[in-house]
Amino acid sequence: MWKYTLKRLILAILTAIIIVSLTFFLVKTLPFSKPAGQDPTKYAYYVNQNILGFVLDFSTAQTGYGEVLWKYQDTARLWHYFYETPIITQYMNWVSNIFTKWDWGTSTYIQPNVGVMNIIVSKLPYTIRVNVIAVVIAVPLGIGLGVIAALKKNTMTDHIISTVVMIFISIPSFIIITFLMLWLCYQNNWLPSQWPSDTAPASIQAKGYIIPVLSLSFGSICGYTRFTRAELTEVMSSDYLLLARTKGLTKSQTVTRHALRNAMVPIVPSILAEFIGILAGSMILEQLYGIPGIGKLYVTSITSKDYNVLLVDMAFFTMIGLAAGVLVDISYGFIDPRIRMGAKK
Amino acid sequence: MEKNNTEFTYENSSKVEQTIVIDKDDFDLVQKDSRIHDTKLETKPTTFFKDAMKRFRKNKSSVAGGIILGIIVVLAFVLPLVMPYEIDAPLTSEIFLEPKLFDAGTGWWDGEKSYSNVVYDTKNEVPAGFEKRAVTDSVLTEEGEYFTDTVNDYAYGGDMLFYTDVIGAESEFTTGTLSSYYYTYDLANNYSLSVDFNDVNDTDNYTLGEYRIYFSYLVIGDDFLYSDPKEVELQGYSKDYTDINELDLTKALEDGGIDSSTVFVKKQQPEIVFELKASTETKQSLLIHSMEVTSDNTDEAAALKVISFDDANKALLNAKTTSGQASEGYWTVLQSKVNLSQANIIYADFKYDTYELKYGEVENQEFGQTLINSYIEKGYMELDLDDYLAIEEPTDADLAALIDSFVILDDLCPIRSVEDVSVFNVFNISVISVFGTKSLYRALGYSSMPKFLLGTDSSGHDLVKSSFAGLRISLALGIITSAICFAFGLVWGSISGYFGGNVDIIMERFCDVLGGVPWIVVMTLCIINLGSNLQTFALALCLTGWMGTSARTRTQFYRFKGREYILAARTLGASDTRLIFRHILPNAMGTIITASVLMIPSVIFSEATISYLGLGLTNLNSFGVILSSNQQYIQTHSALIVFPAAIMALLMISFNLFGNGLRDAFNPSLKGSE
Repeated sequence: MWKYTLKRLILAILTAIIIVSLTFFLVKTLPFSKPAGQDPTKYAYYVNQNILGFVLDFSTAQTGYGEVLWKYQDTARLWHYFYETPIITQYMNWVSNIFTKWDWGTSTYIQPNVGVMNIIVSKLPYTIRVNVIAVVIAVPLGIGLGVIAALKKNTMTDHIISTVVMIFISIPSFIIITFLMLWLCYQNNWLPSQWPSDTAPASIQAKGYIIPVLSLSFGSICGYTRFTRAELTEVMSSDYLLLARTKGLTKSQTVTRHALRNAMVPIVPSILAEFIGILAGSMILEQLYGIPGIGKLYVTSITSKDYNVLLVDMAFFTMIGLAAGVLVDISYGFIDPRIRMGAKK
Repeated sequence: MEKNNTEFTYENSSKVEQTIVIDKDDFDLVQKDSRIHDTKLETKPTTFFKDAMKRFRKNKSSVAGGIILGIIVVLAFVLPLVMPYEIDAPLTSEIFLEPKLFDAGTGWWDGEKSYSNVVYDTKNEVPAGFEKRAVTDSVLTEEGEYFTDTVNDYAYGGDMLFYTDVIGAESEFTTGTLSSYYYTYDLANNYSLSVDFNDVNDTDNYTLGEYRIYFSYLVIGDDFLYSDPKEVELQGYSKDYTDINELDLTKALEDGGIDSSTVFVKKQQPEIVFELKASTETKQSLLIHSMEVTSDNTDEAAALKVISFDDANKALLNAKTTSGQASEGYWTVLQSKVNLSQANIIYADFKYDTYELKYGEVENQEFGQTLINSYIEKGYMELDLDDYLAIEEPTDADLAALIDSFVILDDLCPIRSVEDVSVFNVFNISVISVFGTKSLYRALGYSSMPKFLLGTDSSGHDLVKSSFAGLRISLALGIITSAICFAFGLVWGSISGYFGGNVDIIMERFCDVLGGVPWIVVMTLCIINLGSNLQTFALALCLTGWMGTSARTRTQFYRFKGREYILAARTLGASDTRLIFRHILPNAMGTIITASVLMIPSVIFSEATISYLGLGLTNLNSFGVILSSNQQYIQTHSALIVFPAAIMALLMISFNLFGNGLRDAFNPSLKGSE
């Protein structure tokens, strides 16, 4: 088990390194993302980039280094000509900066001269708060509905639950958000139509959570309901449950003590994965409802061409995805010792 | 000897001997003179595919999903070709028309938009900012039902709320002043001042304060070097809010020691000033309903309006819009503020016929000579302009004759009636303009008033047509992408699955790495590197999309390659190619194709997602672009987002139903389980 875990982890880390490196080169082949703002801000940015090893600073114009990124006469009347370092050198410096200083780069537009990691960390709480509430609501509700549907299989209740689940699982999230906003914000004016600012009164802030949580949990509830129903119906038809009944256990005893425990085996890892996925959040929701979370940061960084932020945001999403995959695979083995992931025949 | 009859004897149960005679002719040889071979099966033979279809048909909801899906797809490919409306170039006249199916006035789905609580313009008798001819069913609020405290073009009456802010400390005791515009007071005339106060304070923020009224002016020195402010008190500090009725201003000034022959010129800044004491606790206020300065000299009546007002809203409006100009109610405010209080405002609930607005008939429109001539040339109408122009000095009768000569020959004629004609002579050239009623839809080239079933969007495109045209683009993108992914994934998966071993491991690791990149990251990288167009989308979707097909193909190959019939074929010397294409693939095909069909909705979904994130196709109106660009009108024109969203939802649901049914039908392990 430990060997498998280790192998899986190393593989994931290797994959992450390859992907992030590829992303770095692809992003860096784009035109250099120049900082916004006043000249002193720009100068501070270039000086910092020079220290980090992404640009070169010359006192006269140079040939052989490509285009001049920016030239500036500082307060001491010295000229500075900034050139881009070769991409491979930039890559080396980037990696060493990460490991030595935990410096992932500097934002050029969103918050000029602020470290990208700081920006991401400052955006995370919004995303996490909204998503944690959604998951906390969705998991019990989804599993509960799934259990009801499975226990009342082929009855009217089951048909209704399954139909609703099928419908909501099919409809894309942005359609659900749109209809929720139309109904709750614009037609009835019950809720704010945009994410309230941090200075808004507490009651409005609380109301601001309703639409994000609803739109996020609809999909999850349906997913868990379908998953639980499928797993539980399979377990319910197995022989050991019949044996348990013949031994004299009541139906509820067999369900809670035998069926549910076994049905939970594949469900629990997916819950764990969802908790990791929380970090990534929902880009569309954040974009549509104006939540200043990490998904919105991603979109803003693309539209404002702040590639340093984009690069780290992409790396972040990639790692989250890989981590979730690893966690699911590993947790199978811990939850159900019979499962030996990656074992030979 | 041939024996034709055979006799058998036996004893029956009652021990009596019985005889049976069997004749040879009673028998016939079966299959005599015929070749023996297998008979055809009475039941129809079935193939895997046919069996799957049969089982699919049993699944009613999937069939329904398939039918709906089929209808949507057919509509997407047919409707844009059939419908007449323009959807490529932006149209200006057709912007934001409401959905219309029935004639106007039906009350539902008739191209009318309901408005409520719109400020009503009482002067023009129309809701403010709307065209009168398109307004129907307006219900007005009663006068005195609603009041406003903000200065509004369409409000009237009300009080001028003159107030001071709360001041911090006693020592800062300040007063606010509200003064009228400078006016040349000639004391030879008798001026009288009337002020109508309002003593009802119905706001919590203010308390009625102590005020006084005085007349202020400057005494300017002979050499213009100094000026000395002076004042004559008209009414001392009090809290008496009873109306001042024709206070004799001239007499009060004379009582204050001013010579009766004095003429105050504007340079002396003569003004009537209201002064309000500020308080440390609450905001102090004074409500002035109207103020009037009159003179016994009737020539001054008009000029005096500058320092009078009877409509606080109007006065404040003038003060705001014409600062520095002497207009009615121009006031100067010091250390305090003036607001409007409780002005009357009327709101209207009404229906607005957007079609009448854009396509109806408008009176008194000007038509130039070129246009008139072109209409006459086209045979739309008749108008004897030449005769009229020949007349040197046309009389009213000539004009009437010209108007009478107007005949509509074709229903397409945009001019419906002629009311007036005007002729200007510029450098001996007659420029003629005809004024008449214009039919807007005919002028736009329609033969009848258009009906947009679900309205039009911000570019004036019919929503139904543009949605389905967008859907067509998205479907095409989905089909192309799925086909490419299918082809590539099939080859990759076949190789990986069939050969196994190290080849498989290497190929799988490659998939692991590529699969580890979220599709949104791949999409972003493609878009920022290559620009947002259809090819980039297809490329980005293919880069990640083929792995699904490949994984499925690989699994299928692993499943079938160990089967006995493959072993048998291999022992008979079948080549790898033959094994793959003749034996394994046909069995695996159903599942793989189903999965590939299900890729189409996911491509549409991805495309819409990217559009919602603001990175969508830039030069094509795909379905996602239409959805996301209509999203901003969710509040004002919700139909624009509801319809495409509903189509999207329906499409996804039916795709899901259809796909699930197909998957179950192709899953051999479910065979016979129903």
